[in-house]
Amino acid sequence: MQRAILRQISTSSRSAMRRSFSSAAAAAEESSTAGMTLNFNLPHETIYSGAKVEQVIVPGAAGEYGVTANHVPLVAQLKPGVLQILHAGTNEPEKYFVAGGFSITHPNSTTDISCPEAVKLDDIDSTAVTSAYEAAKAAFSSAEAGSRASAEAQIDMEVNKAMAAAIGITL
Amino acid sequence: MALRASVQRVSRTLPRLMAQAGAARGMATEKQIFNQIQSTKNIKKITSSMKMVSAAKLKGDETRLELAKPFNEWTNALCGKPVHLDDLENITYEELPQKTLIVPITSDKGLCGGVNSFISRSVRDAIGKINAQGKECDVVIIGDKGRSQMSRSFPEKILRTATDIQAPGNFNLAAALSAELTAAGAMNYDAVMIVYNSYVNAAVYHQYYKVIKPMAVEGEGESMVEYEFEPDVKSEIMGDLYEYMLTSQIYYCFMDGAAAEQSSRMTAMENASKNAGEMIDTLTLQYNRARQARITTELIEIISGASALEG
Repeated sequence: MQRAILRQISTSSRSAMRRSFSSAAAAAEESSTAGMTLNFNLPHETIYSGAKVEQVIVPGAAGEYGVTANHVPLVAQLKPGVLQILHAGTNEPEKYFVAGGFSITHPNSTTDISCPEAVKLDDIDSTAVTSAYEAAKAAFSSAEAGSRASAEAQIDMEVNKAMAAAIGITL
Repeated sequence: MALRASVQRVSRTLPRLMAQAGAARGMATEKQIFNQIQSTKNIKKITSSMKMVSAAKLKGDETRLELAKPFNEWTNALCGKPVHLDDLENITYEELPQKTLIVPITSDKGLCGGVNSFISRSVRDAIGKINAQGKECDVVIIGDKGRSQMSRSFPEKILRTATDIQAPGNFNLAAALSAELTAAGAMNYDAVMIVYNSYVNAAVYHQYYKVIKPMAVEGEGESMVEYEFEPDVKSEIMGDLYEYMLTSQIYYCFMDGAAAEQSSRMTAMENASKNAGEMIDTLTLQYNRARQARITTELIEIISGASALEG
């Protein structure tokens, strides 16, 4: 009698699990067709808030990675590089150069990208980048090794090098 | 002839004597009231122009605040909601851990109404309650006005102050402020509590406090368990994320405080202009009365002098 009850309980729980799995899959189906939600914010400008996009390619500190709907929740520190946003129905991604920041992908297919500064690649002036790189290189060589000024100059050089690589010029 | 000369002398000295008698009695002379009216008019001009300048600056601050809000949105999930300091009696601060760093955000310039006094009062109340619970706290003050008000009550708790902040603020400023906090030892505290004014509209602002705790990397209470971290070392990223979160929060609270300060200054200057206008009206009435009294006195002397001559 007890074994029958236990069997009943186990089958009903198994079918409940099956039902919950299938509803999760159904929800996944629904959200993947809807794409992912992107919040891309700068302190002085909100570039995207709650925008539905297809994919975002993020320049993480350990390497670039792409985020689509239902991506594993992830916290990544960004390195200076190109952030690409692919909108649904387009082939060309929208490119921004970001200087740093954080990207947090939540379990509900929402990604928050917060950067102190970002510019569209089209808005980058190649002559300004070259001159800034030269100035940073000069500052780095004249600064005392291990000092704060030397570290700042090194960061300056890396960012400008990344910007140059992003717009396709060689330094 | 001698009589006329003496009457003339009397008629010349009499007003002066009357005025002196009036001044000695404590009533202002016509000249004094006139000077008072002139200086009050100048003050009214200054306060009304300050009000217009504040109104213009408020527009800019409001826009900056609107943009700062979505920028700071992601921190709300990690830090919890700000607590409204509406009735100081009911705030217990029980949720604070053992060591807290209190960061009140005040203004550098004055003539801004009650914004800074509210913050000072809240911080004083908080320190009293925190110490009563056996916990420790220290203070890093942002803004000169806060420093002058709080250094009298608890000078030993103030670690540093940040003054002469260039308005308007930007993210670099927030980064510099959070670097100052780190230099003051913010990483050694269990929580950072920001006390700030929040702008609601041009007439209303509230005080809030926010508690920002470093996130536990392991053990119970580990935060962000379901997230992967890239690069892989969670503790490093959590440390950097905490600094970035602190900077973002300081940026938002500073923008909020700046907008509240401008709106309060606008209201204070408007009230000052209105009061100056009322004072000018009262003084003008007094002035006219004094002037008429003087003219009446002169007339009486002339007439009495003339009638004394006739016979």
